[in-house]
Amino acid sequence: MTSTLLLEQIFNGLQAGITLFLIAAGLTLILGIMDFVFLAHGSQVMIGAYAAAAITIATNNFYFGILAAIPITFVCGYLLEWLIIRHLYGRDHMDQVLATFGLILFFNEAIRIGFGPAALFTNFPSSLSGFIEILPDTPYPVYRILIILVGLLCALGIHLFVSRTRVGAMVRAGASNPEMTAALGINVKILFRFIFAAGATFAGLAGMMIGPLTSVEPGMGEPLLILSLVVIIIGGIGSVRGAFIAAILIGLVDTVGRVMLPMLFKTFMSVSTADTAGPALASMSVYILMAVVLVFKPTGLFPPKGA
Amino acid sequence: MKNNVLELRSLRKKFGALKATDDVSLEVEKGKIHALIGPNGAGKTTLISQIFGNLKPDSGDIFLDGKSITNTSVADRALLGIGRSFQISNVLMDFSVLENAIVAKISHSQETFRFFRPAFSDPSLIEGGFAILKRVGMEQMADRKVSDLAHGERRLLELALALAMEPLLVLLDEPMAGAGPEDTIFMTKVIAGLRGQTTILLIEHDMDVVFQLAERISVLVEGAVIASGTPDEISQNRLVREAYLGSDQ
Amino acid sequence: MVLDLFKKFTTLWIILIVLAFFPIFTSTFDLPFWNDVVMRIMLLGMAAMGLNIVFGFGGMVSFGHAAFMGVGAYCAGISQYYGLDNGWYQLLMSAVSCGILGILIGFLALRTSGIYFIMITLAFAQMLYFFFVSLEEFGGDDGLIMDRSDFIFFDLYEPLRLYYLIFFILATVSIMLMLLIRSRFGVILQAIKSNESRVEAMGLNPLKFKLTGYVISAIICGLSGCLFASWQEFVSPDIMHWTRSGDLMIIIILGGLTYLAGPLVGAIVFLLLEELLPDLLHVLFPPISENWMIIFGPLLIAVVLFGKGGLMGVMGSKLKTAANREKT
Repeated sequence: MTSTLLLEQIFNGLQAGITLFLIAAGLTLILGIMDFVFLAHGSQVMIGAYAAAAITIATNNFYFGILAAIPITFVCGYLLEWLIIRHLYGRDHMDQVLATFGLILFFNEAIRIGFGPAALFTNFPSSLSGFIEILPDTPYPVYRILIILVGLLCALGIHLFVSRTRVGAMVRAGASNPEMTAALGINVKILFRFIFAAGATFAGLAGMMIGPLTSVEPGMGEPLLILSLVVIIIGGIGSVRGAFIAAILIGLVDTVGRVMLPMLFKTFMSVSTADTAGPALASMSVYILMAVVLVFKPTGLFPPKGA
Repeated sequence: MKNNVLELRSLRKKFGALKATDDVSLEVEKGKIHALIGPNGAGKTTLISQIFGNLKPDSGDIFLDGKSITNTSVADRALLGIGRSFQISNVLMDFSVLENAIVAKISHSQETFRFFRPAFSDPSLIEGGFAILKRVGMEQMADRKVSDLAHGERRLLELALALAMEPLLVLLDEPMAGAGPEDTIFMTKVIAGLRGQTTILLIEHDMDVVFQLAERISVLVEGAVIASGTPDEISQNRLVREAYLGSDQ
Repeated sequence: MVLDLFKKFTTLWIILIVLAFFPIFTSTFDLPFWNDVVMRIMLLGMAAMGLNIVFGFGGMVSFGHAAFMGVGAYCAGISQYYGLDNGWYQLLMSAVSCGILGILIGFLALRTSGIYFIMITLAFAQMLYFFFVSLEEFGGDDGLIMDRSDFIFFDLYEPLRLYYLIFFILATVSIMLMLLIRSRFGVILQAIKSNESRVEAMGLNPLKFKLTGYVISAIICGLSGCLFASWQEFVSPDIMHWTRSGDLMIIIILGGLTYLAGPLVGAIVFLLLEELLPDLLHVLFPPISENWMIIFGPLLIAVVLFGKGGLMGVMGSKLKTAANREKT
């Protein structure tokens, strides 16, 4: 019984980790290459989730919702960079924190005005609502498996892009070194905008996929933003590989801890105390992990060589 | 034993495959102006950074006034008596000239954890600040903001800050870099005026300045010292002419 | 010396004097609600002034100072929970707790710099946030309802007593900071912000000064949090939510981070906007009168993009150009 539960939780942790990676992948490049503290990345998750949910509800077709939402998030990211973000490159970190904090307020409020403060609920199609036996007698939802697969596919794509292409070579160097970019013959402005929009799309995709599992509501992106910042810091700013490893780690620690800590606490505490303390301490453990990493490796586990 | 303020013994530093400092041993005599010359990329700034503690050598030892300082921090070395001017001017840009000097004076006094009495209006600190500026002839500019100063003036201020600690040894990393001809002449005069008072290790590209000022010259090529001697010896040295001076003239 | 301080920090003195007489205004025009708003301005302004020691004067972008407000507030709440009603004792507890936490967190966080420092301070704040969420004994997520603390000389339920207590602490902190930022310590802290490697080359260990500044700022935020608990008659982890750390930064930048009075000016503007924007929207666009953030967010971006130096900077440069014109 416990081992089945544990296995299930490990899979949930993987799914959460992969989702975090999709959000963190773009953000780590934005932080690393553009040296830009972008806090509104969580809003991209929300925008993706709302776009998919609204279209799904309107057309009554989940797949169409996702397919239509992907270009929407790309365009959103592209426009955001063009309208505001590009004016903030090279500014103080505190200016960037503040301006993008302003963006969070704006997006959350805009969604609240557009869709109301209550959550939107969508369901994935019945074809995805089944279970697969991952081990004999251990059924696991198909939909979550699908999220893991899509996420891994994206991770592979990002990895190939960063490691195999000329543009990726600059991304790998992890520095906005003008001489190097000139040598590569790359238009930096376009490159930044592209990375930004692509990052927004992956974050949006994460939002679309987890939409049916959680509630699609204003402000849903911020807890995910904070967690993906933790991921990026642990992995090393600008390192996609680091982000992947850290995302899986954080996903597992957070998810498994949330279930296992209360169970552990119940062995020596009252049930209600354990139910309050367990999840909160599981949430704490993520930050403890990050603090420990930073104390021993002040630039994360896999700092890019250029940094 | 000779009276050496600074002594380097078999200092080595590698960046990947590049030998930035290759078995460097060097002695700087007290009261002398010792110049370190060499082509671009010879590892001069890397060497200075190791002496000052911004970089740690892979192996070897650094002695200041006979005591090993190889494992001490930048701040401790500054206290033990090394002052430095950096290749890119390194002064407090948001402060005025006098305020820069006053901060140096506070540091020198070691009375830093004072939380109540205002510092910039303290008469003894102002006096100390002016004394620091006087050594480089900047007392007229005391009230100017550093961000409004010309490049050469900033270099001069930086020299003043390095001297404020009354160091045993001053490391000057290209003090003339980017300064106009007039500034160069003035700066040369100021440095010449320090002869005998302070020991100076000078990195400089301008050979006229080097031969005007230095009493000893060491030549660094590809991380290694290929020659050390008086200016006459160096200008006669065939190795140096081939490796460095020949290509420069 | 007093005159000197007055000349140097005119704006701050003017604000303090206005705050001292503000209740006369509210009682004359029968607007007691505004006393409440102004108390909040003073509390958040004080916390922001504390944060600004590291943020504006020390150049350390800490994204976790709300945590110290929270610890201060819980010092009041938990003390009272165990029957320790004495407010002076609670203030002392807050200062001591935040001081010790400040040393611990500061020592670890200051090993990093840049973006990593922003994030590690956020991480510690989140850690504390979830720590208080986990304390079921003190209400967990839902928090702890409490009475106003007992300050012996003041009964805080008498009208205006709380107002003047907060004012007294704010004024004390302000005067201490006026002295602090001009002292040798304050000068060195600002020198570190301007150029850390130069300060190091002068033989000073920057970490010592940054850590001291960090601890002082943590204590001030703790005092603000402790009083906040009495004002709110309620403590919950919400007081230390990460968005409040963001609010404190907004307040500082709005007012101008290189000015001592900046955070107070910022707090006035921030909270007035919070009060007035909904009213304004109610008149202009009634359907979104609750959604004042939709205006505030872009306003913030505009301040960052176009208003360097905050409001104090804008006012200051106006004054300066006027003065220059007189000279020429």
